[in-house]
Amino acid sequence: MCNCGKNEYTPVPSKLQDIIKHTAQEWTFRFTHVGDVKPGQFFQISIPKVGECPISVSGIGPDYVDLTLRAVGKVTDYLFENFKAGDSLFLRGPYGNGFDVHEYEGGELIIVVGGTAVSPVRGVVQYLCETESAKDVHMIAGFKDPGEIMFKADLKDWAEKIDLTLTVDGAPEGYEGKVGLVTKYIPDIPIRDISKCKAIVVGPPPMIKFSMIELVKRGLSEDNVWISDSRRMSCGIGKCGHCRINDKYVCIDGPVFKFSEHKTLID
Amino acid sequence: MGFVYKTEEFNKVLEVLEGNYRIFAPVLKVGEGRFRDTDVIRYDYISRIEDAELEERSDFSFKEILIPLSETMFYFTENEIKEADYDARPVIVLMRSCDIHAVKRLDQMYTGNGPNNDWFYERLRNRVKFALIGCGKACPNSFCVDMGSNKTDEYAFSIDVVDGKVYCDVKDDELFAAFEGAGGAKDNVEPRFVTEAEFRVERPEEVPIELFKDPMWDEYTKRCVNCGRCNFVCPTCTCFTIQDVFYTDNGRVGERRRVNASCMVDGYTDVAGGLVMRKTNGERMRFKVLHKVYDFRKRFGYDMCVGCGRCDTVCPEYISFANCINKLNARVKEVTENV
Amino acid sequence: MNKTTTDTNLKKLKKNAYRVSKVRGETASRVRCPGGEIDVDSLQRVVDIARKYGKGMVNITNRQGFEIPGIDLKDVEEVNKALQLIIENRNINQEEYNGGYPASGTRNVVACPGKQLCPFANYDTKKFAQEIDKAIFPNDHHVKIAFTGCSNDCAHTRLNDFGIIGMSEPQYNKDRCISCEQCVKYCKKRSVGALKVVNGKIERDVNKCVGCALCVNYCPTRAWTRSKEEYYRVVLLGRTGKKNPRMAEDFMRWADHDTVKKVICNVYAYLDEYLDREAVESKEHIGYIVDRTGFEEFLKYIMKDVTPNPKCEIQGRIYWGGKRYDQNNELRNSMWRFSEREDAVVLKQGE
Repeated sequence: MCNCGKNEYTPVPSKLQDIIKHTAQEWTFRFTHVGDVKPGQFFQISIPKVGECPISVSGIGPDYVDLTLRAVGKVTDYLFENFKAGDSLFLRGPYGNGFDVHEYEGGELIIVVGGTAVSPVRGVVQYLCETESAKDVHMIAGFKDPGEIMFKADLKDWAEKIDLTLTVDGAPEGYEGKVGLVTKYIPDIPIRDISKCKAIVVGPPPMIKFSMIELVKRGLSEDNVWISDSRRMSCGIGKCGHCRINDKYVCIDGPVFKFSEHKTLID
Repeated sequence: MGFVYKTEEFNKVLEVLEGNYRIFAPVLKVGEGRFRDTDVIRYDYISRIEDAELEERSDFSFKEILIPLSETMFYFTENEIKEADYDARPVIVLMRSCDIHAVKRLDQMYTGNGPNNDWFYERLRNRVKFALIGCGKACPNSFCVDMGSNKTDEYAFSIDVVDGKVYCDVKDDELFAAFEGAGGAKDNVEPRFVTEAEFRVERPEEVPIELFKDPMWDEYTKRCVNCGRCNFVCPTCTCFTIQDVFYTDNGRVGERRRVNASCMVDGYTDVAGGLVMRKTNGERMRFKVLHKVYDFRKRFGYDMCVGCGRCDTVCPEYISFANCINKLNARVKEVTENV
Repeated sequence: MNKTTTDTNLKKLKKNAYRVSKVRGETASRVRCPGGEIDVDSLQRVVDIARKYGKGMVNITNRQGFEIPGIDLKDVEEVNKALQLIIENRNINQEEYNGGYPASGTRNVVACPGKQLCPFANYDTKKFAQEIDKAIFPNDHHVKIAFTGCSNDCAHTRLNDFGIIGMSEPQYNKDRCISCEQCVKYCKKRSVGALKVVNGKIERDVNKCVGCALCVNYCPTRAWTRSKEEYYRVVLLGRTGKKNPRMAEDFMRWADHDTVKKVICNVYAYLDEYLDREAVESKEHIGYIVDRTGFEEFLKYIMKDVTPNPKCEIQGRIYWGGKRYDQNNELRNSMWRFSEREDAVVLKQGE
């Protein structure tokens, strides 16, 4: 046989510990996993005979990782329909660079996220909540409508430790929370020293684009902004080519990029 | 050390080599071309040198031995995941200088990009030796000289068939006995290389970012039919897509395989939820061309394209990749000089 | 002004491949080009004849020949001598040296460009057309035969007595298939939609497949190739005309070369037997004869001594369509004249 070392493509069995249903379309699957994982990294959920799909880590525990996903494709649909807590599945990963949480300690930080993009930053926020810097974290979390709000328990916890703005794009009459796009609240964030302030912006491409306009208006340096990107992927390990943009591979060089670098990448 | 053989003598060399190796070479497949009574040259196993097509460049490259068009990775039964078997017998691949240069690019992608190597590639790669087919003439549409791939000394042995005689330069000690025993005359043999290709190309050193959205690519939106032939014949294209299937109605048994993918063909950038990153063929052309002569170099220090010219020859719409490189270069000059 | 004319046997003239002109004393020479092919020397000779004996003009015929009008009847013998080079270059069977064409009943055998030129053709239409011409010509029976390279039927074979449509059996090498699905897409868009993806590989509905081999043309990896064997669909007894114009109907599919050739050659014995001797100018579309004798009898003749290749499928009964003008000349569902329509004025103004 071959002496090629580990076959990274081999799916690794993992027990599904729990399923947390946020909305009808968005569930968190808690998979058994032991090993180093960073927020912003991703796993390939691997279902034999069905396929694989890359999902960012939304939570990290001592013996598990949380993967939060929307049912929008063949693999995710299958996952929603066919599995329950206690079942065994397969994973590959973690892959990608992830966020370096220490980068954001001890300074002011703005986090702008939309929808399921809470996943990659959830670990960052959780880490910072346990540090002295929590009070200088300003987070704007946007969802399409009140029914789409995810991680409600987390948001409630975080609201006590960080400066959290929760907003929805639109809401039925009588809704008491904030309404409006995330960009609407960027000008109001209280920042002491914008030159040293950092930011994490994760969400759909248009959200990132318009949030950046607002952040730059406030004087934030593009070098101090991190985003997390996503692309079609097959291998997750820099071989299949699908996620390449210019000379970068989202699966190994990303998915977390400095904005100043990412804006030079053109699909 | 070199040898000169008659054809029958060289076939004895092959016979001995076949004891340990399979010989993979370009073969003329009669009638298997696109159109009625047209042929195609693609790789297959041979036993006699006459069965190899050594004059004309193959339409499809050697790469099918290392990255099969369709390759099973795993078999799935109800409770088991099993790595697919493969034919572990060593292989000697007959290929031209440009293609030997292409191997370096494949190695780079599969074993030199990111922390993980490609297990399936490595297990095939480890059993392959490369033999050089000398080039008596420049191939149609080739620009290997300007890409620096027209010469190589990285081969186990070389083959030049001239006037019915087979000239071999043998470098690999493991194979030496097979060559020595076949009755050929010892001689100093130098494989033939071309020093003038069909086309000249000039590559830009830097490509300013504004050229990514330049109107020069619009032409290809109109002309290209996104069939992906340029990718499938390219000796340096490595992209693949993993697909899972189940065989039976009850869905219990199946496999995971990977198939060659093309950045020109629909679906390459589609993500779940409907987003498509590059919709127009012009954008896809730009993505491909810049990878071959710019982006890959930015990452690894040398260009990906080896200038074999296959993509030009195969294009059903007569789009010339070489010409596109030159157009790009001219456009870069225009843009940078006007700054 | 009418010319002085000599005693001329028009029956003989027509058999000699001249058309009787409406201009008294003039005729037109019809140049036979089986497979619609002509060499430049012959073409030059056509030009020379038209210049010397005609009026400097040449008609291109509907059946891929040339027609040189304006020839004086007294020049026919000279024209026949001049035609000799063309007849020899085109390899036409002849009965008398310098005697021109020996028959005109069996029409020029038509062919689309075929595999020598066309990317979609499945065989050498011209070569087959010329081979058939060699086998059946000269013959006075009115028979129309056309060869076309694929189901596109650019040669309009379905308006002929015998239409020969090229087929290839697509050969699938699943190891070379990457499921790009271009074959599926093009088969659906430009052919009959006989392909589908099953488990990442392609399945061909062998009954639906018309053997056009578009899948082969569009496959980027050579997973699809053409069968070494060339096959044919044979369609029968299409025709234009006053009484009952109709499309030829399928008779055979996946027939091989020899089967096709024998079937075509066999039709002449049938015509010898059943042609209506009272037919005007001894000329009758075969289809009308078959209407009289019944298809069974026709089948008996054309299948005589034919052992079809094993893959060949044959239609046992054939029903033809087309409008019967001898029974009904009405337009299907509108019995109005444009000028009588209430909004006719408005429509005219709106033009």
